[in-house]
Amino acid sequence: MTSVITTNSLTKKYKEKTVVDHLDLKVPAGSIYGFLGPNGAGKSTTLKLLLGLIKPTEGQISILGKEVNLKNRLEILTQTGSLIESPAYYGHLSGKENLQIICTLKDVPEQEIDRVLKIVRMKEQKHKKVSHYSLGMKQRLGLAAALLGNPKILLLDEPTNGLDPAGIQEMRELICSLPRKYGMTIIVSSHLLSEIDQMATHVGIIDKGQLIFQDRLSSLHEHSRSRIFLRTDQDVAAMNILKQSEIPAEWREGTLCLQIYEDDFVIKAVSTLVNSGIGVYRITEQQMSLEDIFLHLTGKQVSL
Amino acid sequence: MLFRCIKAERKKLMHSAILPASIIIPVIPTIMGTFNYLQNTEILTDGWYSLWTQLTLFYASLFYAPLIALYCSYLWRLEHLNHNWYVFLTSPVSIPCLYLGKMAVIFVVTLITQLWVGILYIVAGKFVGFSGLCSPQIVFWLLRGTLAAIAIGALQLLLSMMIRSFSIPIGLALVGSVFGMLFSNHGFGLFWPYSLMLAGMNSNKSTDSLAGSSWIFLLAVVVFFFLFYLIAIRILKTKDR
Repeated sequence: MTSVITTNSLTKKYKEKTVVDHLDLKVPAGSIYGFLGPNGAGKSTTLKLLLGLIKPTEGQISILGKEVNLKNRLEILTQTGSLIESPAYYGHLSGKENLQIICTLKDVPEQEIDRVLKIVRMKEQKHKKVSHYSLGMKQRLGLAAALLGNPKILLLDEPTNGLDPAGIQEMRELICSLPRKYGMTIIVSSHLLSEIDQMATHVGIIDKGQLIFQDRLSSLHEHSRSRIFLRTDQDVAAMNILKQSEIPAEWREGTLCLQIYEDDFVIKAVSTLVNSGIGVYRITEQQMSLEDIFLHLTGKQVSL
Repeated sequence: MLFRCIKAERKKLMHSAILPASIIIPVIPTIMGTFNYLQNTEILTDGWYSLWTQLTLFYASLFYAPLIALYCSYLWRLEHLNHNWYVFLTSPVSIPCLYLGKMAVIFVVTLITQLWVGILYIVAGKFVGFSGLCSPQIVFWLLRGTLAAIAIGALQLLLSMMIRSFSIPIGLALVGSVFGMLFSNHGFGLFWPYSLMLAGMNSNKSTDSLAGSSWIFLLAVVVFFFLFYLIAIRILKTKDR
């Protein structure tokens, strides 16, 4: 699959502080690329770099085969929709008037307004002043503005921030439907792993400005090693027998846990115990959760 | 592309406080000037010309630049608030057009303000009891003074773009105007942008101080405009957001 956004050693330093550190992003066409990282990891800075809002200290960015620079600025921005940080709006104007301004600047016919308002389910509120909108409505208006002109690329920075659970669900479904319906490629940033897990096809994990993981979401799941827990009538004796038989096992959460989970290995462990007169009454498999993997990769707790 | 930017900027001004401000504020110097004229009718004997000196004494020296500053602050305030900077700068239009769109709107609003000042001047003249209409020369001064808005507008747009505060750039315009009077009085009016409106409108004078040298005034307007314009574009292109 071709990448529509690539960065090569992308770095942004503020004085001595490196906020984005030699990032090599590869965002495949038609993907929903979940850009995941704790708060302050450099997600927003990276998205702003992609949009040319801030200039890189070193490295290159290429979007749709064009290098991001002042010369290609217009060509890239024409094909890009974005929602950076909180939603942007002119509070004294109605939702429709706000979108008319964007339409004028993007040189898109105003008929587009009803189309995008329908997508974000905001047609009813279009004549209301935006300062009277709820945060969720502003967020959806921001998304509508980003969708004007049917851009090939959508950059969404924490689009579910501040939304209520129903709003989050709605926004998520909306985002998931876009690549299929309109052939868009989407980067969506979040500090919530569960959110990325439900939306993304690909994941990039950033921590302290560095990309520590980048692949398909399914490949992240493959990292989730299983563990086999054994419950026996004599756990201590069972552990000794396993050790004597050179079967690696450990105590986890006060329970006997096999460190290797291949089928043959489990059969060997259980038969050894049963043959030694130990009663095995539970064999449970527990998957390492994405949270565990994240913790393992970043070494820090994230909000979940 | 520039036309699109102007259209967008004009739209942003809908339902705004700009129009009421441009109507109400010029009334103040008109009243002050007319009152001053009526207090000094023994020495102010030149009719329409004398009234012009008094009206512009207040308007051009103290109100004109801060009024333009108010328009500029309002236009940038819209972008400073609610993360609009990001939308503004990620619009697929060139950066000079973004800036010139604001500039054009400022100029049009200023032109409307000036025409309103012209109407107020004639109303004040009628109120004082002058017969007929003022000399076309005064209309020329009024319009020539409008050109000064191009230099001041570019400077105030630059200041309001850099300074998030709404009122500080307006305060600077007022301070600039006070210095403008000093520069004008010492004959350096064309080297200080805030003095240009005094020169253009022939403020507080009944004979044209720029007689025969309007082109120097125009040159000063153009030079100041390009100076501030180029600085603003450079900042917009290079500054991180």
